[in-house]
Amino acid sequence: MFRRLQTKLTVLYAGLFALALSLVAVSVYLTIANNAQQQVRRELVATGAVFDSVWALRTQRLRDGADLLSHDFGFRAAVATRDAPTVASALTNLRQRMGLDLAFMVDVDGGVVGADPGKIDIDKLWRALDHEGRAQGVFVVDGAPYQLISAPVMSPVLTGWIVFGARLDDREMTALERLSAIRMEAQVFDQRGDTWVATDQIADTKALGAVVAKAMGQAISEPTRLRTATGDNLVMVKRLMPLDGETPAALVLCYPTTQAMAPYRPLMAAVIIAGVVGAALVAAASGALSRDIARPIAALEDAARRLRRGEAAHVDVRSSDEIGRLSDSFNLMAAEIREREARITELALHDAETGLPNHLAMEREIEARMARLAPGQQVVVAALGLDRFSVLRSAIGYSLFTQLVAEIGSRVRVIDPDAVVGRLTTSTLCVIFPLTALTDELVPLVEKALIDLAAPVRLGSELVDVHMTNGLAASGAEGADAPRLIEQAMIALDQARAGGRKVAVFDPVAYGDPAGNLCLMSEMLQGVANGALFLHHQPKLDLRSGAITGLEALVRWDHPTRGLLRPDLFVGMAEETGHIRALTDCVIDRAIADQRTLRAAGHDLTISINISGRLIDDPEFADRAIEKIAATSARFCFEITETAVIGNPDVALGVLARLNAAGIPVSIDDYGSGLSSLAYLKQINADELKIDKAFVLSLENDAKDALLVKSTIDLAHSLGLKVTAEGVESREALAMLQMMGCDLAQGYHIAKPMPLETLMVFLNERAAETPLPAKIPRRAR
Amino acid sequence: MKIASILFVVAMLAGSAQAADLTVAVRDRDGKPVSNAVVTVYPNGQPTKGPIKFEWPYRVAQQNIQFTPFVLIVPVGAEVSFPNLDKVRHHVYSFSGGNRFELKLYGHQESRSVRLPEVGAAAIGCNIHDQMVGFIKVVDTAYAAKSDAKGVAVIHGVPDGPVVARVWHPYLRAARNETTLPLAALHGAARETATIELRPGGH
Repeated sequence: MFRRLQTKLTVLYAGLFALALSLVAVSVYLTIANNAQQQVRRELVATGAVFDSVWALRTQRLRDGADLLSHDFGFRAAVATRDAPTVASALTNLRQRMGLDLAFMVDVDGGVVGADPGKIDIDKLWRALDHEGRAQGVFVVDGAPYQLISAPVMSPVLTGWIVFGARLDDREMTALERLSAIRMEAQVFDQRGDTWVATDQIADTKALGAVVAKAMGQAISEPTRLRTATGDNLVMVKRLMPLDGETPAALVLCYPTTQAMAPYRPLMAAVIIAGVVGAALVAAASGALSRDIARPIAALEDAARRLRRGEAAHVDVRSSDEIGRLSDSFNLMAAEIREREARITELALHDAETGLPNHLAMEREIEARMARLAPGQQVVVAALGLDRFSVLRSAIGYSLFTQLVAEIGSRVRVIDPDAVVGRLTTSTLCVIFPLTALTDELVPLVEKALIDLAAPVRLGSELVDVHMTNGLAASGAEGADAPRLIEQAMIALDQARAGGRKVAVFDPVAYGDPAGNLCLMSEMLQGVANGALFLHHQPKLDLRSGAITGLEALVRWDHPTRGLLRPDLFVGMAEETGHIRALTDCVIDRAIADQRTLRAAGHDLTISINISGRLIDDPEFADRAIEKIAATSARFCFEITETAVIGNPDVALGVLARLNAAGIPVSIDDYGSGLSSLAYLKQINADELKIDKAFVLSLENDAKDALLVKSTIDLAHSLGLKVTAEGVESREALAMLQMMGCDLAQGYHIAKPMPLETLMVFLNERAAETPLPAKIPRRAR
Repeated sequence: MKIASILFVVAMLAGSAQAADLTVAVRDRDGKPVSNAVVTVYPNGQPTKGPIKFEWPYRVAQQNIQFTPFVLIVPVGAEVSFPNLDKVRHHVYSFSGGNRFELKLYGHQESRSVRLPEVGAAAIGCNIHDQMVGFIKVVDTAYAAKSDAKGVAVIHGVPDGPVVARVWHPYLRAARNETTLPLAALHGAARETATIELRPGGH
């Protein structure tokens, strides 16, 4: 109903008070009205009694006067002697002396002296007097009621009656009214026919007359209520004794109740004024009180809203009541929430181990900076990777390694206090440079800084050597988002490591299109199905016979939109995404088909197929390959890298053994480029060793390489392995290899990888030229 | 019929003497005997000629603040004495027409006399003692008597012949407090009953 607490409380209190006051006022009014009415009743009764007393007194006075006169000897003599003038004068004399309205004499014969007989119903009066000589009562004379009193005149026998009368007129009633404590209206009513009328017809008394008639009829002596146009009245009717016992008359005392209420009006006014003033005071006070209550609550509500929005929320309430305690609790809670939030944020944005900002914090920082960039500016980010992570970790333990990372982070800040340093991975830090562009000058600067950073770190009592590689990436405001930028720096780090450099800037061309990679894989699978993937073959030259005795199958993809794709653009990806098996299956199928074609043309050549390290420890693949090869009586050689065996040596060596058993020779590819292990060389049951082209390319210029190649050839031969040299690009190299006793050679100097049709032509040409043993092809690279 | 037979008896008794007693029993409406009623008889309807003399004294004494007797019958022109037998003084008066008199204060054992010249009833009172009321019936006939406590008045020696008989009583409800009996003539002794109406309250 009320949206505001203050309004609700104010209305409630003021309303209750007003209600209570109304009840008080009503009860006061009712009590007053009741009291007033009772007072009026009492007063009416009292006035009635007073009237009785007055009546009796006057009766007595009149009687005294009448008796006095009736016993006066002279008067009696005058009466007895029918001395009318004397009698009349005596009556007049007494009337004046006593202030009477009427004084006359009725003799026993009905004669009247002292009054106009025409105005008096003599017969009626005579009968009344004859009936009771000392009569008294109301009698109408000349249309007006009089209180008459009679006294017999005995002289000594009854000769007549003295009659004294007092008029019951307005003056008389006014006197009676004055005797009353309350201002009432007194009237005399007499019956005329059936109706009762006021003797002094001053106002319409029809209603009053009805009341009188009823009261007289039922002999009601209690005051009764009469409602008139001017208000409530209390009416008391008092029977007046008629002189003749026949014509009744009544004294009517009428009192307007409103007049009775009049003295109480100031009291009622005082109650009402006190009520209104009190209600106003209560409204104001409860308004103020509820404001005091509601204001802190409103402040709390506001603070709660602010707290919800994550803003600072403090309620300033200084009271010691519940609201004050609630506010204190709220403030405490708000502070704790903010503190906890800060701690959570701290945890969310910091690396727990080093205390450095974490990946997410760096992303946010980059985003913030990107948002502030002017057009053309860039955010420059570096991924600073500690090399040889696993070696270091196993050497010094994870805990110390973490200290090391933290130390490197603080070193970065020492070198460039404006740089922001965070931890991306266990061994990688992220540095956001205070630069707005990635220029070529940065690389040497970073290389120089890396030297300082790579100073040995003292951890406890030990000095630890550290090596670091740095990948740089930069992005403009419209460029990549923050995660992408960090990823690019990480890729740049990988690219630097791959390129054997200390610092590398992210190379998008070398990286390709990572976004398209997944798409590329599905396209590749389609290509596998529809024959878009096919093989190029690079011939292998037998240095002893001078004949082409083998081929290395290299997969190619004629991409529907990007054209011919080299294997390094999709093979690595196929390995990473688990599609290498499908690709290799496809290659094997193609090679089987191509070998059949070549055989048909009379060229029986062994085809070497590169088997990914991911497939070497997959016995199922091996089984299927063996089955296929056996089924088609193909002659293949599987080329693997020695590192392929490292991951799961037991399984891998088992697979190689099965291949061997199936008569499929195994060739160790790229020997010398990785971590060439003599132990594995011993374990791997191989047929051939392929020397990495890195050694062969500089064979004729580098004596050390030549020595290494020669030693390797000798070593392989000693172990019963054939040796193939890759990357033979010059006649000199070929000659040297021939001299060194190398078995086979492969390279641009001999032949590039080529499609099957071109290979057929090439082989046919070679066949036409043969037999020319050890003929050096003149074909240039 | 009854009256006729009574009259017959009276006439028979009075036949020899030519005169007889008339006995009148005065009753009120309730049949109670009324004392102090004065019965007057006028033979031939005429007043008595010559001096009249009654057997009782013409005297109204004041005794015990009362007039005694209450009613006194005197012939016209008689001298009535008012002896005061009380220890207090009295002021006797009458306003009755020609018999007006006033005997101013006189004391114990004193007496005053008044001549009453007019026929009629004289109401006498005492100006000092209102309750003292008495009546003197002044008559012009010799045949008058007052009823006793039994309400019986006996008039002696009423001559036979036509009569006018009247009954007077101070409180009799009639003009001049007097009523005429329905008695036309007397023949010897007669007994009459007169029924009269009295004013209530005795005034």
